Amino acid sequence: MTFFKRFLVLFICGAVQVFFATYLLLELLGFGLAWHLMNHDMMFIPGILVFVGSGYLTFSYYFLSDEQSNNALYDEFTALRYYKLATAGYVINGIGIFILFSIQDWQNWSFELANNMIYQIAAFAWLIFGVLLVWFSMGDFKESKGG
Amino acid sequence: MGKSHEKLLNNLEGLRKGTGLTQQELSESAEVSRKSINAIENGIYVPSTVLALKIAKTLNCNVEDLFKLPEK
Repeated sequence: MTFFKRFLVLFICGAVQVFFATYLLLELLGFGLAWHLMNHDMMFIPGILVFVGSGYLTFSYYFLSDEQSNNALYDEFTALRYYKLATAGYVINGIGIFILFSIQDWQNWSFELANNMIYQIAAFAWLIFGVLLVWFSMGDFKESKGG
Repeated sequence: MGKSHEKLLNNLEGLRKGTGLTQQELSESAEVSRKSINAIENGIYVPSTVLALKIAKTLNCNVEDLFKLPEK
């Protein structure tokens, strides 16, 4: 495993998440998109990518990389970057969920609207963590080259 | 002292260059990435106790030679 390979895995997973989550969120919030997914099974793609990507990273840590590479790839400075971004993700999600709660039509509340709100929250959280995954991958790779 | 974190002054770059090691060589010996060494030298990151001890051991000096608390 190298910094570039990790960048590729994380960036692709993150970018695909951002695409699907943005699409889903815009649909759920009622924006009239001109383009629609015809095959809804495609929504499994980001999830499958995350499973495969995380599986590959874990497998490579234990079986494909030497100790020196693992020391460099998973050191304490990288962990700190991850903690900071994850914390930012939880904070942004908290604010986002509060806003999503606030914009609901509580006067005409129904199970359908409740169901829709749950999907909105899920899509929003998905989008935020996708963006942070892309952000992490780019910063991590950039620093490994010249930082 | 070189470029330092607001809570910790460091002299890592000077001592490292004094021993003729590159950032890459020091990072391999201290079992971290090169960017971690760079981040410490530039005052972006304060290392853990274990990492500070590993760096000191590699450079054959004391931790106090590498890092100092700023005087108030």
